[in-house]
Amino acid sequence: MTSLAVLFRKELHATFTSPIAYTVAAVFLLVLGYTFSLTLFATKVANLNYIFHQIYVLSILLVPVLTMRAFAEERRTDTLELLLTAPVREISIVLAKFFATMLLVLGMFAATAAYAIVLGLVGDPDWGPIYSGYLAVALHASLLVSIGLLMSTLTENQVVAAALSLGMFLMLWFADSAAYLLPRPLDLFVVNLSLIGHFKPTVTGSVFFSDVGYFVSISLLALFLASRRLAER
Amino acid sequence: MNDSADPPAIRAEGVSKRYGSFTAVDRLDLDVRRGEVFCLLGPNGSGKTTFLRMLAGYLSPSAGILTVAGHDIVRDGLAAKRKIGYAPESVPLYGHMRVGEFLRFMARLRQVPADAAGAAVRRAAELLALGDVLMKPIRALSRGYRQRTALAQALVHDPEILILDEPTNGLDPRQIMETRALIRSLAGNHTILMSSHILSEVEKTADRAALLLEGKLLGVRPIAEGPDLETWFLSVT
Repeated sequence: MTSLAVLFRKELHATFTSPIAYTVAAVFLLVLGYTFSLTLFATKVANLNYIFHQIYVLSILLVPVLTMRAFAEERRTDTLELLLTAPVREISIVLAKFFATMLLVLGMFAATAAYAIVLGLVGDPDWGPIYSGYLAVALHASLLVSIGLLMSTLTENQVVAAALSLGMFLMLWFADSAAYLLPRPLDLFVVNLSLIGHFKPTVTGSVFFSDVGYFVSISLLALFLASRRLAER
Repeated sequence: MNDSADPPAIRAEGVSKRYGSFTAVDRLDLDVRRGEVFCLLGPNGSGKTTFLRMLAGYLSPSAGILTVAGHDIVRDGLAAKRKIGYAPESVPLYGHMRVGEFLRFMARLRQVPADAAGAAVRRAAELLALGDVLMKPIRALSRGYRQRTALAQALVHDPEILILDEPTNGLDPRQIMETRALIRSLAGNHTILMSSHILSEVEKTADRAALLLEGKLLGVRPIAEGPDLETWFLSVT
């Protein structure tokens, strides 16, 4: 536990001293602010459904930028050798990077709470879908960050890590479309891998264990595989 | 040096490392006694770094048993790693950190308690004459200071066993002499296993040396006995 805390502090420092974090946060908030203002003035409807879908897409595009360095950079500069020869478990190294990245992502999401406050001041929104919407984007981000970290363990090239992550995210996004081409029972399996298929119900206020379980189990699997990848040497 | 009847600090029994059909280390048997300075000699590509990386727990042996301070590095890796300080040849450092911050991070990672970490950093900085640069970002350091910072991180938790891969690489003659003196001063209380391909350096620093060539151990000898290392090296290879 102490090792995890020490590693987490190091990762937080690395994350928040990097210009990448601030650039990504700025782009994210700028695009969402623009979309929110436009939607609010155009539709005059007090909900954030549109914003959550925008966060879904922006996360898919921006999370690879946040996770690409995680292990690729440590491998390229040989600092991974320092971490892996210290008396710490591989899973602690992975979790420290996961928690630090999630803190940044959740911080970005938290900043969008300003939109919910504005809606509360000027209208009468249904708060249920807003709460479940934040749950959906947080679970979605957890899955993306975990897979992004796994992809970063596979290479020492950051661009390759980002491209692999983006490829995986897009394949998961469109998994339900691919399922139509497959025979039974493979189609059922693939359709259940669909990112959007599990995101949509949660973001609209229908929270099912199966959807939450999908995000949590894939996140845990990716983190486990990342730690196994580090242990394989 | 302690009595040679003591259990060895490091023991390798039939250790091999293979990458597909290429064998980097081939059935290596070796004992390093407690408190001695032991040097692995050999040309580039002879398997020195691979062997040290296995000892440090960075690589797993393909075959054989490696024990460090009585702990099997594969089965009991965390316990073995607690006894080791390791300075890799490539001098990996976090450029965005300050020297003091980096040494504190490494001390805490190697399980030095928070309230003792400051003293551990000061001790390591004093040993390596890093006091003037503790507040400097690592990326701004010269090659010599970077090398000394890498040695300091290996020492910061006062480990029983030090594994130093080419510790004088990149140092100027004065720094080489200081590093040699430091290694000699640590012997006795620490077991030091280092690698080098500079014969004169090994003669002045080590108690015993082993010669590796193409992953195979060609011989082990005390430095003080027999012919000079150059003659030995030429006769064995």
